[in-house]
Amino acid sequence: MELNKETRTRIREAIKRYPIKRSAVLPLLHLVQEDQGYVSDEAIEWIASQLELEPINVYELLTFYPMLRRKPLGKKHVRVCRTLSCALRGAHRTCATLETELDCKEGDVSEDGEFSLEYVECQASCGTGPVVLVDELTYEEVEGEKALRFARSLKDRNLGSDPDFISYEEKVEAGLGEPHEKAPHSAPREKKIILQHADARAYRNDLKTYLAKDGYETLKKAVRRKPEDICAEVEASGVRGRGGAGFPAGMKWKFLDRRSGNPIYLICNADESEPGTFKDRQIIYKDPHQLIEGMMIAAYAIQAKLAFIYIRGEFFEGARILEKAIADAKAQGFVGENVAGSKYSCEIVVHRGAGAYICGEETGLIESLEGKRPYPRIKPPFFPAALGLYQCPTIVNNVETLCNVKHIVDMGGNRYSKLGHAGNTGTRIWCVSGQVKRPGYYEFPNGAVTLGEIIYDVCGGLLPGRTLKAVIPGGSSAKVLRAGERFQGKLKNGTAFDWGIEDVPLDFDGPMAAGSMSGSGGIIVMDDGVDMVEALANVSYFYAHESCGQCTPCREGSLWMKKITTRMTQGGARVDDPDLLLSIANQIEGRTICAFGEACAWPVQSFVSKFREDFDAKTDSSPDGAQLPFTPASEPVIK
Amino acid sequence: MSEENNTVTINLDGDDVQVTAGANLIEAVAPHGKEIPHYCYHPKLSVVGNCRMCLVEMGMPMKDRATGEPILDENGEVKIGWMPKPVIGCGTNVAPGMHVRTDSELVHDCRNGVMEFLLVNHPLDCPICDQAGECGLQEFALDYGRGYSRFVEEKNVKPKQVELGPRVVLDDERCILCSRCIRFCQEVADDDVLGFVDRGSHSTLTCYPGKSLENNYSLNTVDICPVGALTSKDFRFRMRAWFLKETPTICSESSVGCNATVSSREGVVHRITPRRNDAVNDTWMTDSGRSLYKEIDHKDRIRSFRVGSKEVSVSEALEAATNLLGSSKVALVGSGSCSVEEQFSLKKISDYLDAPTYLAGHFGEEDGLLLSADRTPNLRGALATGLISKYPSDNLKSLGRRLAKGEINTLLCVREDLLDVGLTPTQLKGVRIVYLGTLENQTSRMAKVVLPALTTFERSGSFINLQFRLQKFLQAIPGPAGTLPDVFLLNQLLAELRKEPATPFSMDEIWTEMGKRRGSILKGFTFGEIPLDGVLLDPGKFRAFPYVERKNLHFNLSDFRKGSNTSSQQAT
Repeated sequence: MELNKETRTRIREAIKRYPIKRSAVLPLLHLVQEDQGYVSDEAIEWIASQLELEPINVYELLTFYPMLRRKPLGKKHVRVCRTLSCALRGAHRTCATLETELDCKEGDVSEDGEFSLEYVECQASCGTGPVVLVDELTYEEVEGEKALRFARSLKDRNLGSDPDFISYEEKVEAGLGEPHEKAPHSAPREKKIILQHADARAYRNDLKTYLAKDGYETLKKAVRRKPEDICAEVEASGVRGRGGAGFPAGMKWKFLDRRSGNPIYLICNADESEPGTFKDRQIIYKDPHQLIEGMMIAAYAIQAKLAFIYIRGEFFEGARILEKAIADAKAQGFVGENVAGSKYSCEIVVHRGAGAYICGEETGLIESLEGKRPYPRIKPPFFPAALGLYQCPTIVNNVETLCNVKHIVDMGGNRYSKLGHAGNTGTRIWCVSGQVKRPGYYEFPNGAVTLGEIIYDVCGGLLPGRTLKAVIPGGSSAKVLRAGERFQGKLKNGTAFDWGIEDVPLDFDGPMAAGSMSGSGGIIVMDDGVDMVEALANVSYFYAHESCGQCTPCREGSLWMKKITTRMTQGGARVDDPDLLLSIANQIEGRTICAFGEACAWPVQSFVSKFREDFDAKTDSSPDGAQLPFTPASEPVIK
Repeated sequence: MSEENNTVTINLDGDDVQVTAGANLIEAVAPHGKEIPHYCYHPKLSVVGNCRMCLVEMGMPMKDRATGEPILDENGEVKIGWMPKPVIGCGTNVAPGMHVRTDSELVHDCRNGVMEFLLVNHPLDCPICDQAGECGLQEFALDYGRGYSRFVEEKNVKPKQVELGPRVVLDDERCILCSRCIRFCQEVADDDVLGFVDRGSHSTLTCYPGKSLENNYSLNTVDICPVGALTSKDFRFRMRAWFLKETPTICSESSVGCNATVSSREGVVHRITPRRNDAVNDTWMTDSGRSLYKEIDHKDRIRSFRVGSKEVSVSEALEAATNLLGSSKVALVGSGSCSVEEQFSLKKISDYLDAPTYLAGHFGEEDGLLLSADRTPNLRGALATGLISKYPSDNLKSLGRRLAKGEINTLLCVREDLLDVGLTPTQLKGVRIVYLGTLENQTSRMAKVVLPALTTFERSGSFINLQFRLQKFLQAIPGPAGTLPDVFLLNQLLAELRKEPATPFSMDEIWTEMGKRRGSILKGFTFGEIPLDGVLLDPGKFRAFPYVERKNLHFNLSDFRKGSNTSSQQAT
C-alpha cells in the first residue's frame, strides 16, 4: 500500500489506542480514505492484514457507512442535508440550485471531476438549515436566493473569501458563535449552565480560556473524594439521560457489574444524529473542556479504565477540537496518568463514526466501537453495564449528561436536584428548528417554559403569515403533536392536566403526558404550509435509510413505509394507503431489538392518525391509485 | 444431578409444566408440543435474535421490592408482571415461575407481521426453488400468512445465482438475512468469508470478492439456510424434497462417524445431509463425506461376480473362492471400512482357516472438527470383534515379508487395495487373491475371484467410532442387480469352507453370537436394539491403544485415556 508517511504514523498510533486491535478498523478506513480519497480493494485487504482480520470484516463496514466510499469523489465534495428540518427550510430547492450551477447531478461526480454532490441525512445543524457541507466545512442557512449565490461562489472558488459564507467551523474558530443579534442566549428565563460560556463573546474552546473560568477545579476536588461519593451525588441529583430515553444516570451507574473483575469502560455518546437535535455539537465545538472535565469526573466515579468519545463522523472539526483539548488537558495532568494529582489514571480516546444513525443506540455504538457492523445487541443479556464494550461493564452517557455531571459535583447533587422539578431535574437544552423566526438552541430549567412559550416567545413565533400546524417535540422519532389538539390526564404526582399543545411543559414528563416524548430535545415546528404527507415521506426516507437491517420488522417495514409515502407524494396514492401505513407501523412497534422500531413507527402512527385529512386528500386526488408497480420519479421532496 | 435439579416449573399457556433448567423458551417448550417458529435461531450457533419470528409474551410473578413478598391479586393469586413488549423465545431463558404465552392474540399478530415482512421483498419463485417443500417460509406462511399480499411496490433487486464457492450457490433475493451461514462460518468452520454488505433492507449476503466459500464444511450453510437462498450445486434442480425417502446412515469417511441421512428416491441416492447427534457431530458434517454416495454409480463400480475375467454366478464365485482359500497358505486382509458384523464374520473365517489377519490403517491429517486422522469408519470394530489384536502401525509390511518368503500364497482381501497399503507387485506375484470390494482397483484386477461389495447406502450394519460409540446404518437403496450384502457373502463363504449347508441368519443372530464370545465388549444388544443415535461402549482394555486421533468436535484423546469417551469442544 502506497500511503504517505504521516498517514502511516497515524495508523500506527491509532491501532495502539485500542485494547483490541479490531476497534481500529473505522479509524484506519478514515485515515486511508483521507490519504487516497477512497478505499480501494487493495486497501481493504491491507487494513485487514494490519488488524489480523479477514477482508470481509472490513468490507462489511465499508459498505455499511455512507461516509466511506469505494470510488473517488470530485475535487470538492458537496453534501446537502435532506432531513426534515433542512427540508422544511428548502433543502431540496438548494440541492436543485447546486445541481444546475455546479452542473453535477445529485449522487454523482461532475463531468470535469471538479464537484461531487450528494444528499446526506441529518448533520445536527437543524436550527440553521438548510446546511451544506463542502468537504469538511458546514455552511448554514443556504436557502433561496442565498443558495444561488452560494452555488456560484462555490463554482468560482470564491467561497473562502466571501464574507457572506462563513462556515460554522470558521465561526467557532473566530469566536463568532451563533450570530449574536439572534440572541438565543438572552431569551427570557433562560438559565444557562451547560451553555454558560459556549456563545459568550471572547470565549474560546482552548484550555486557557477554560481554566480562566475555573475549569477543572471540580475535577480536582472530585478526585480527592471517594468514587462512591461522586456516584451518590449523581444519584441524588436525579439527573436523567439527555440522549433520548431519559433514564436516570445515577441508576444506570448503579447497575455496573463491579464484581466481574473486568475493566470498566466509559463511553461518551457524541453521535448526535436524531433529526432536530444540535445541542451536543455546540458543546463539542465551543466548550470541549467542559465535556472532558465531566467525563473525567464520571470516569473517576465509576472507576473506568479507559474512556471513549464516539463522535459522529461528520463532526470533522469537532473531532479535531476534542483531540486537541484532550492533548492539552493531558499536558496539564487532567487526563491520563494520575488525574489531577490523584492515583487515578484514565485516557480518553476519540473514535469517529462514519454516518450511521444507528450508532447512537448504545449497543450499536459499542459494536461499532468494537469494529463490527453496528447491529444493536439483544438485551438481555447484553446490558452494557454488565456486558458492554469487549463484554466488559460499560457506561454509555450522552454529551450533555456528562457535562451535567461536572455541574452536579460542583454544586452538589441535592442543590442540583432543586433545579427544574422532581423527576425532571436540571436544565435542558432545547433545539428548535423548522418554520419559526428564530430557530436555535436554548437552555432552560426543566419545566420552566412551555412549548407555546418556546415557539412564540423565545423563537419569535412562526414565519410571517403562517400559523402553527404541527410540532415534533423530541426529535423526528417522537410522535407529532397537532395544533389545536388537547391533552388531558393526570401527571405522575396526581395533578390533573388539560393542555393545549402550547401548554405542554418542556421537561421529561410533559411531552410524555401529551403522548409523545422529549427525546433528545429536538423541537421541529411545522406551519400550515406543510404537506404532512411530504413531511412524513421525508421522515420515513430517513428511517429506511438508517435502519441497520438486522431485525425483520424494522428492516422491511421501514423501507415499505418509505415506498408507500414516496408514492403518495408523487401522485400514486391509493385509498388503502393510510390504513396500510398504520398497520405496518403497528407491526414494527415493540417488536425489534432496539428502539429504532419505535423511532420509525411512531412518526407514521402519529402523522397518519392526526393528519388523516392530508393523507386522504392524496388518495382523493388519485382515486384509482397509481399504475402498479409504481416506480418513484425521485426521492420524496418537500416542495 | 437428579432430574429435579435439572428442571424448573413454568406456566406455559396456562398450564404448569416442567422444563429443562437453563434452556431457552424455544427448546424448553418443544417437548410440550408447542412450536415457537423461528428462522435465525439455531441450537448450535450463537443467539442473535434478528428474525423476530419467535416473539412470545413473558411475565414473572411480581414481588414487593422492599419485602420480597409476592404481590397478590384480588383472588389471592400471585400477580404476574407481564413484560410490556413481547420477548424473543431464542434469547429468553426459562426461570422458575415464568409465565409464557405462545398462543395469544398478540403472539399471533407478531408472527403474522414478521411473516408478511419477510415476504414483501421475497421473490415468488417457489415453483423453481429447490427449498420448496422444506422451506421455513412456506411452512410458517401456511400457519401465519395473510393469504394475500398488501405489498404493491417494486420489490428490491439483488444478485441471483451467485457462486459462493465450488459447491454452494446463493440467491440474494431469497435471503432473509438471518445470518446463520455467517455465524456458522465464523463459529464452527473458522473460515470467515461470508458477510453482509450495505444496510437496511438492501443488506446483501456476500462472500468477500476474490475469496470463495470452499471449506470442507460449506454445505452445512445450505442445510441451515432456512430458505432457498443457499442451495447445493450437487442437489440443485435434481429432485423435489417431498419425493425423497430418508434413511439414517453413518458417514464412513473417518472414525468420527457423523450421523447422516440418506435421501433417495426409487433406488437413487440424491443427497446426504447431517443428522443431529449432539454427542458426535452436532448438526454438521463434511462436504467430502456427503459426496461418498458417488461411489454407488462410480464408473469403476464392481457389479458382478467374477472368476478370472469371466462373469459368473454367485455360487460359482463362492465355490472358486472356497477352493482357493481351503487349500493353501492363506492370510486375510481385513478393513476398517467393514461393518462390525462383517468383521466378526471375517474373524470367524480367520479362526476356521487358522489364517493370520492383517489390517492397514488409513491415516491422514485431522481437521479438528469432524474429519479425524483415521480415515476408516470402523477400526475400533476390528479391535472389538477380535479381527485384529494390535493397532495397525506398519501397513502390511510384515505380510509383505511373509509373502516374499512364500509362507503365504493366498489372500482374502476385503475393501483394500493391496498395492496402496505397502505391498509391491513383486511380493504379490503368483499370489492368489480373492477380492471383496466395491470398486475396481489394482487388487481387483489381479484377483482370481472378485466378489462385489455394497456401499453403506446399500446394506445395513454398524460401526464403532472413535469414542467407542456403536452406531448403525440402514440400507437405503438396493445394491446392483444380483449382488448380496457383504455379511451374507462372508457367512456363505464360511459355510462352504466348513462344508456345511448355509443356514439363514439375521443381524440379530450375529449380535447374539458376538455377545457370547469371551471378553467381548459387544454384549447386551441385538442389532435392532442399537439406538439410532448410537450407544457408548465401554472400551475396556482398548482404552489405552495408540490411537491416531487427537482432538475433534466431541473427542479428545487425553480425556478418552482418562476414561471420558466424549468431550465437548467449546465453540469460540
